[in-house]
Amino acid sequence: MKEQWSQYDPGQLYDELIAARQQIRGHSQKLIGYLQGLSPDEFHHRVTESEMVIREMGITFTVYSDAGNIDRAWPFDLIPRVIAGTEWARTEAGLKQRIRALNMFIQDVYNEQRALKDGVIPRDVVMQSKGYREACVGMTPPHGVWANICGSDLVRHSDGVMYVLEDNLRVPSGVAYMLENRRVIKRVLPEIFNLLPISPVSVYPAQLYEMLASLRPDLEQPTIALLTPGIYNSAYFEHAYLAQQAGLVLLEGADLAVGADGYVYMKTIQGPERVDVIYRRIDDDFIDPEVFRKDSMLGIPGIMRAWREGKVAIANAPGCGVADDKVIYAYVPDFIRYYLGEEPSLPNVPTWVCRKPDDMAYVLEHLAELVVKPANESGGYGMLVGPHSSADKVEEFRQLIQENPNNYIAQPTLSLSVNPTICDGNIEPRHLDLRPFILSGKDIYVTPGGLTRVAMRKGSLVVNSSQGGGSKDTWIVDDNTLNGGVAV
Amino acid sequence: MMLSRVADRLYWMARYLERTENTARLINVHSSLLMDLPESMEIDWYTLIKIFNAEETFSKHHKVMDEINVMQFMIADRDNMSSIMTSFSGLRENVRTSLDLLPDEAWEQVNQTYIKLQASLSTLNSRHSRQALLRNVMSGCQRIRGVLDSHMSRDHAYDFMQIGKHMERTDMTSRTLEMTALLLSDARSEALRRYDSIVWSGLLSALGARQMYLRHKNSRIEGSEVMDFLVCDRIFPRSLTYSLAHIDQYLARLPEPEAVRTISMRLLEQFEEQDIRAIPVNEIASFMDSLQAELTTLHNKIGKQWFYPDLDISQYRQEKPVGQKQSQVQY
Repeated sequence: MKEQWSQYDPGQLYDELIAARQQIRGHSQKLIGYLQGLSPDEFHHRVTESEMVIREMGITFTVYSDAGNIDRAWPFDLIPRVIAGTEWARTEAGLKQRIRALNMFIQDVYNEQRALKDGVIPRDVVMQSKGYREACVGMTPPHGVWANICGSDLVRHSDGVMYVLEDNLRVPSGVAYMLENRRVIKRVLPEIFNLLPISPVSVYPAQLYEMLASLRPDLEQPTIALLTPGIYNSAYFEHAYLAQQAGLVLLEGADLAVGADGYVYMKTIQGPERVDVIYRRIDDDFIDPEVFRKDSMLGIPGIMRAWREGKVAIANAPGCGVADDKVIYAYVPDFIRYYLGEEPSLPNVPTWVCRKPDDMAYVLEHLAELVVKPANESGGYGMLVGPHSSADKVEEFRQLIQENPNNYIAQPTLSLSVNPTICDGNIEPRHLDLRPFILSGKDIYVTPGGLTRVAMRKGSLVVNSSQGGGSKDTWIVDDNTLNGGVAV
Repeated sequence: MMLSRVADRLYWMARYLERTENTARLINVHSSLLMDLPESMEIDWYTLIKIFNAEETFSKHHKVMDEINVMQFMIADRDNMSSIMTSFSGLRENVRTSLDLLPDEAWEQVNQTYIKLQASLSTLNSRHSRQALLRNVMSGCQRIRGVLDSHMSRDHAYDFMQIGKHMERTDMTSRTLEMTALLLSDARSEALRRYDSIVWSGLLSALGARQMYLRHKNSRIEGSEVMDFLVCDRIFPRSLTYSLAHIDQYLARLPEPEAVRTISMRLLEQFEEQDIRAIPVNEIASFMDSLQAELTTLHNKIGKQWFYPDLDISQYRQEKPVGQKQSQVQY
């Protein structure tokens, strides 16, 4: 494999493993040294084996758009993404700081509204957030924590800095794939674990259980369940996997009902049994037809009452999506300063908020260079990527922004970092992002690394698995003992 | 704690696992039997379709009742409720939706077998590769059962799986016995009479019973003794009496089993008293028919009692103080 690696060239892009042609970063030397030592046949064999292992482990995701719902094998790239431990320690601290501020903000929104009164964020920005739920006003969930499970998307720009792109606070998914990617690597490249210290990720299910249990401090051994929309949901594999790994009861809405005493019960062969904590993987809108969408077949009538009375804990708390909004995102650094009195240690992507006249003027002037996002869409919908769009498209957004400036933000077009990736038997640079998962209950836990998603098409920045994205195992390695870049 | 919905899935999972393995073995043994018999006998490829009462579905898809059509139908056809593909997919779906209750290696074993099965479907018209396919399915099922048996706690999840397994086994054994009795009735042809012992021996193999028969019966292979072994033997785990006893035994471990057990106990009593050798071969078929009808009633009762109970939680109040753990079932 030596030759393939010596030809690898990330060019002007920031590469996670290789600083420049033939300049390997210190933290990835042992990995690349090991891969170079494999013969091309052996390497090919390991790649094929990883594909087989994924099929045998039944690691799938569901795609709706094909003919019906089809379970596809999880796309995985064998070459890991490596992050130095010292850098990760700073990132982890930044993520903890951020989730604390976010949870304090949500608690504030539904209670005193100090930040709104003090002008940290305009009231109408909060009230227009699609995730705001009137039914949550006055509530304080256990430990004052609303977003118990958060998946924040991080991207590294060509300046080498890791930025927070967004915080997924509703029902973030992907953690099962992070766990499975590690299992696959351990099976396919077991020797490498002798060569360098890689932080283990397998404690996540136990941490998840601890966090969920901490939401009922009044009970010694609460009954904890994971509520799934069912087998046709695109993340069903993850729901079943997490329930299995963490020892949660995997439930569907039809298994649950609220009793005359206001507690939540599941239907068992011995009659009703009480459920104390629900890790729900369905959106607010569908959780309780008495309060939210009346046509929901997935939810449990009366569960919001049980939650408000403290008879069941729900993670994430209903209404926590209020902070999962592109406009509110722009204010998160201010939340950190306001609630914690600290400077943010992880930067936001610079963001212009179109409701501010100065920002809007700048945005309209530089539209063709910027990425424009509407407040409440996710998955890349309704976006403008200036440099990759036609003049007509740019003009269309100019109109949209002027008609409804409150609904738009703009950011510079980032050049996402790349990582060596196997493409048709060659090793080529491909763009990626990173989604660490943050658990907040009594304590806060951050996964070491997270799920790295990679855009498999050359030059593409689209990492979503439903649109041809792949994934990589993510290694946090102790770099205190390693040297800087060394020539091949 | 066991969810009603999950109990239902595990029961079916065990049925599909048993059905898949039994079907594969039956097809394999039947193919081998046909190699020993001359052509144009009462026993042919289509006999398999009759065992599964699948004549109607078969006729919708095929005009010709030859080897290839029957094998395609019995192995690959998803419209055939008894095909190996249908059964194994049913198994896989039910495992997939019960991952939180099963040892994780079970899921991997299921996928391994499934991947191989899918890959070999295109070559099933060749007798040679078909045998490999059937052996893969059988050994796959045995591995899955091995993981379940050696790693699962003997809780209600396991109880429901045992009930499902023995329900399916009883059904399959009775169907196979019914067909054999029809084939070996007094009206059989002179030509076939010369092959009686091969057919009875094939029956034993189809139910995986040949070796234990020889060891415990201490007799040559002949009709009435074979029938007696497969119906009445108390220690062979695939005999009807053994399965019925185990259905009842596992039912007895479940909460409030009394109503359901009235059926299983009655059936068991009937079998324990029955001397199958006293029943003329001509009447075996109707005897098995009535057993199958009883099994259907039992199946429905199980569903009503544990899978879809009438349960109005909105009227429910818990009597125990909150904060106290509900007691676990002890064995």
